[in-house]
Amino acid sequence: MISSELIITFVSLFILFIALGFYGKYWRRGDLNHVHEWSLAGRKLGTTLVFFLIGADLYTAYSFVAIPSGVFAKGSLYFFAIPYVMLTFAVALVTMPRLWTLAREKGYITASDFVKDRFGSTTLAIMIAITGIVAELPYIALQIIGMRAVLTVMLAGYANAQIVEEISLLISFIILAAFTYTSGLRGATLTAVFKDILIWVTVIAVIIIVPISIGGFQHAFSQVKANYVTLPSSLMPAYATLILGSALALYLYPHAINGVLSAQSAQKLRTSTALLPLYGVGLAVLALMGILVFAVPNAMNFLSGFPESSRGVLVVPSLIMFTMPGWFAGIALLGIFVGGLVPAAIMAMAQANLLTRNIIKELKPNMKASSEIRITKISSTAFKFLALGFVFVVPATYAISLQLLGGILIAQILPAVLCGLYVKSLKKIPLIIGLLVGISSGIYMVEDVNNFGALTVSLFNTTFGTIYIAVISLAINLAISFGGSYISNKRQASKTENQDTV
Amino acid sequence: MLVKTRYVILALLILIPSFVNLGVPIYNRESPEFLGMPFFYWFQTFWLFASAGFYIAFARIRGKQND
Repeated sequence: MISSELIITFVSLFILFIALGFYGKYWRRGDLNHVHEWSLAGRKLGTTLVFFLIGADLYTAYSFVAIPSGVFAKGSLYFFAIPYVMLTFAVALVTMPRLWTLAREKGYITASDFVKDRFGSTTLAIMIAITGIVAELPYIALQIIGMRAVLTVMLAGYANAQIVEEISLLISFIILAAFTYTSGLRGATLTAVFKDILIWVTVIAVIIIVPISIGGFQHAFSQVKANYVTLPSSLMPAYATLILGSALALYLYPHAINGVLSAQSAQKLRTSTALLPLYGVGLAVLALMGILVFAVPNAMNFLSGFPESSRGVLVVPSLIMFTMPGWFAGIALLGIFVGGLVPAAIMAMAQANLLTRNIIKELKPNMKASSEIRITKISSTAFKFLALGFVFVVPATYAISLQLLGGILIAQILPAVLCGLYVKSLKKIPLIIGLLVGISSGIYMVEDVNNFGALTVSLFNTTFGTIYIAVISLAINLAISFGGSYISNKRQASKTENQDTV
Repeated sequence: MLVKTRYVILALLILIPSFVNLGVPIYNRESPEFLGMPFFYWFQTFWLFASAGFYIAFARIRGKQND
């Protein structure tokens, strides 16, 4: 049973959160009937706000819950999230300012806008939009799973806990849908700052208080098996490819690109991207909680009351509840809770942009600007509830599996989106074939390693050791895209040569 | 600064942290420990700070040339 202080802090901070979300409409006023005003906050966000917004995009309830959960269950392998965060910003530093510059010049709002213009192919642009929407859905669902974990820990021991939990989630989503509808990205940005302050306060408190109260890190590390202390050498290729594959994929997610394009200038984008690895320090602390919890007997007792498969996601909330005073636990748990809501809002918004601009508008080209913004707002609401419904229907373990698949899918748009920024010789047909082969080989390998059952593994055994599937299918995709473009360019060149001689 | 030298420096500022990152055997060891944390954990966490330093230098130098 939880203390009333905890509930009071949690609820009053949530009310403040809602107020900020609605206030977003008036903040840096713009005409919200324009798509770029609503979904990119008028492209006016400076270094600090982009830092917070992309931080909120990338460090989500999933990272707060799934990474510690993986460390708790499987050990050091899941610490790959930390070097991955470091590498992804290197990728972003090189590629994103260029995308930003092109987007500002030509008025792009999504990656598909860029692809359509660059390769002159509606088919490729629509395929990329669909990949983005599909890959994003399980990501939103995972935010909700993170939020539900907070509620589960808070409500444990009460009667009707499950119903209260589902109703609370539903209410939170109605509120979220209402303020994103009216405030757009401005509301999301303001609440992102609020959420980040809470998360940072939590992380700092945890990293000071928990190790002291349990008698130091060495005490926790002495309680765990060897594969928690270092990485078994057989897993090193898996670790490196998980870093590489995830780092390449992250900035291809529609919500990440959305955040990038809302920056005020390419240089401000560079500076805030360069600082973002610091945000990873918080993530490292949270990941370590997956190990620290072994030294907190109360929390371990509490966790043992849940089935083994659902224990992992509860690690961080329960560790907080058993080591912090009630009022502080209220702050921390709310931080994690809204840490799921804010990204869910941004993700649904990014999906809605893709659906409206790159799919519906292609089919109905004479759409008015006012209907474009209306359809975007409505579909962003629909995507949120779709994800919520998904969580209520599909068991949590499956939702996490689908996220694995999402990462493999989104990586396949890399040749068109990132290579397309720099490589002039790329052609649309090889890119389309590469994308299709990349996606189908990825799905096949995932199904194969999981024996066509529930998805739990995303690593494939090769002669080079176990490797993250996203990297293998991306390599196939790249070979087709570049090889095919090379051949078609050669053919064209020899054709023109023949014509010249004739 | 020569344009060429500048590009080499920019490339190194990105490649050095990436190399450390992906070179798992470099940091996959238990000792030396720091505050009771195995090398594997504290080294990677430390590199988050270090990489931010590299990246800031990249952003500064890159910002001086015109887009």
